[in-house]
Amino acid sequence: MDIYLPIAEVAVNAPLIVGLGALVGFISGMFGIGGGFLMTPLLVFFGVPAPVAVSSMANHVAASSMSSVIAYGRRRAVDLRMGAVLAAGGIVGAFAGVELFRVLRLLGQADLVVAVSYLVFLSIIGGLMLWESAGAILRRRRGQPPPPRRDRRPVWLYGLPLKMRFPRSRLYISVIPPLLLGAFVGVLSAIMGVGGGFVLVPAMVYILRMPAGMVVGTSLMQIIITTALTGVLQAGRNQTVDIVLATLLLLGGVVGAQLGARASSRFRAEELRAILALIVLLVGLRMGLGLFFRPDEPFVLMSGAG
Amino acid sequence: MAPALPPAPPLLQIQPPTTAAVSAALTETTVQVKSDFRGARIVLYGAVFDPGGHPGDVVVIVRGPDQPVRITRKQRIAGLWLNSRPVVFQGAPGFYRAASNRPLDDIANFGELRRLGAGLDHLAINAPAEQRTVTRYGVRDVVVSQLGADYYDWRSAVVRLKEKAHLYDEDDHGVRFVDRGLFRAEIALPAAAPTGVYRADILLFQHGRLVSARARTLTVEKVGLERALYVWAHVRPWSYGLASMAFALAVGWAASAAFRRD
Repeated sequence: MDIYLPIAEVAVNAPLIVGLGALVGFISGMFGIGGGFLMTPLLVFFGVPAPVAVSSMANHVAASSMSSVIAYGRRRAVDLRMGAVLAAGGIVGAFAGVELFRVLRLLGQADLVVAVSYLVFLSIIGGLMLWESAGAILRRRRGQPPPPRRDRRPVWLYGLPLKMRFPRSRLYISVIPPLLLGAFVGVLSAIMGVGGGFVLVPAMVYILRMPAGMVVGTSLMQIIITTALTGVLQAGRNQTVDIVLATLLLLGGVVGAQLGARASSRFRAEELRAILALIVLLVGLRMGLGLFFRPDEPFVLMSGAG
Repeated sequence: MAPALPPAPPLLQIQPPTTAAVSAALTETTVQVKSDFRGARIVLYGAVFDPGGHPGDVVVIVRGPDQPVRITRKQRIAGLWLNSRPVVFQGAPGFYRAASNRPLDDIANFGELRRLGAGLDHLAINAPAEQRTVTRYGVRDVVVSQLGADYYDWRSAVVRLKEKAHLYDEDDHGVRFVDRGLFRAEIALPAAAPTGVYRADILLFQHGRLVSARARTLTVEKVGLERALYVWAHVRPWSYGLASMAFALAVGWAASAAFRRD
């Protein structure tokens, strides 16, 4: 059953898009990430123009994150104060990133920056996560005790000014690292068309040293605020948000996100991280390796005449 | 009068054509783009009147509204395949289809086809090449002069990519004579066809020369909800963006409430 998208001006297969939304929503709810890094390439693969895919994805990610954050909030697994600090940085980063992306599109180098960002960030993060989680799984299999948790936090986290208390996370740290982290993720989200959870989650665990129980809910909160802003900015500046496409995606997405959030409790944390690491690594390599191979068609039509 | 011609209908006997002429009509003059739009097939019927009975060829050219094309070429730099600066082709039609009853090269010579823009090789996007080809580098428009040598590669890439999207097409047998003097052509519009006014030129050639031409227009327009959303998104983009985001967040919240088990 095909349906015509009024903004994208193409016809897509409706059940396929709903299924895609459900699949990505499931992954999103399971791992506490937006899932944009998967959704954007998949939509482009199925023929949706890239700018429309990136922009409409923001609505979908906001909706599926919204549906899972409420469940986390009910379990008191969201650090509202930390989420607000991250989002404040994210808002600045999103504005900067949208402008940067406009300039890159004018120069015709947006594709390159997107591909390199995917390759670099997804490969590094996927690789690190895989290394760490595979080590944890192996140790558990061999019956070794987990390595002693290094509670000694990096000195610079304590050395910086503007300290703030985060009672939910039992942290008393400077607001500068979370602000910078939020801003970095905001820029990344505008350039790569993603929510940025795949950067936030590991950074919150390994750099901010937040308790594991707080990480997913808090990153979802930051993602909702950043993608909501990105979605409105994209609609206002570029008129590239297709509400029909977004609705199809989120019909599947919200259901998938609920199922994913439930499924996540059946797996061990390190197994979840290992699976996510593999997905991240595969998408990063798939997107980035195109740079190294001779393309079948050397010419590429670009959307929009601007 | 040609003895081979069938008896003309009464209407034609009133005003018998004195020279060869072509006439045609579209089965539909408006294509409505709705949510189930998957492209459309429009049939064009026409007739050739020729008191002299000379053999004639019919060419049907359908052009959509102009859509500037922005194209880039991947180049190998330091082992990586990178995009070159994009080149803009102004005045390329958003849809183009040339149909004829036999290969265009057999119907008329190069100059005549070029003059009429008949056929993908003669499509007018290549007109004043250097002036029309600009790159938008940063915010300035720059006229490109060094494109000259490989200009043909760029132009044929535009045609090739548009053909792949079913937006450009050339069909040597797209015009079929169903009866003496009566012909039929089909225009297949893909779902990605741009909205706007299309122009169909029906050309009659005899001995390689254009002897008669007719033009018909076809309107492709969005209707109903599709049109309302499109207009809203373009006329009031900020309220559209806010509303669609609010809708998305509400759906997310509603789903969470619906799935609540405790």
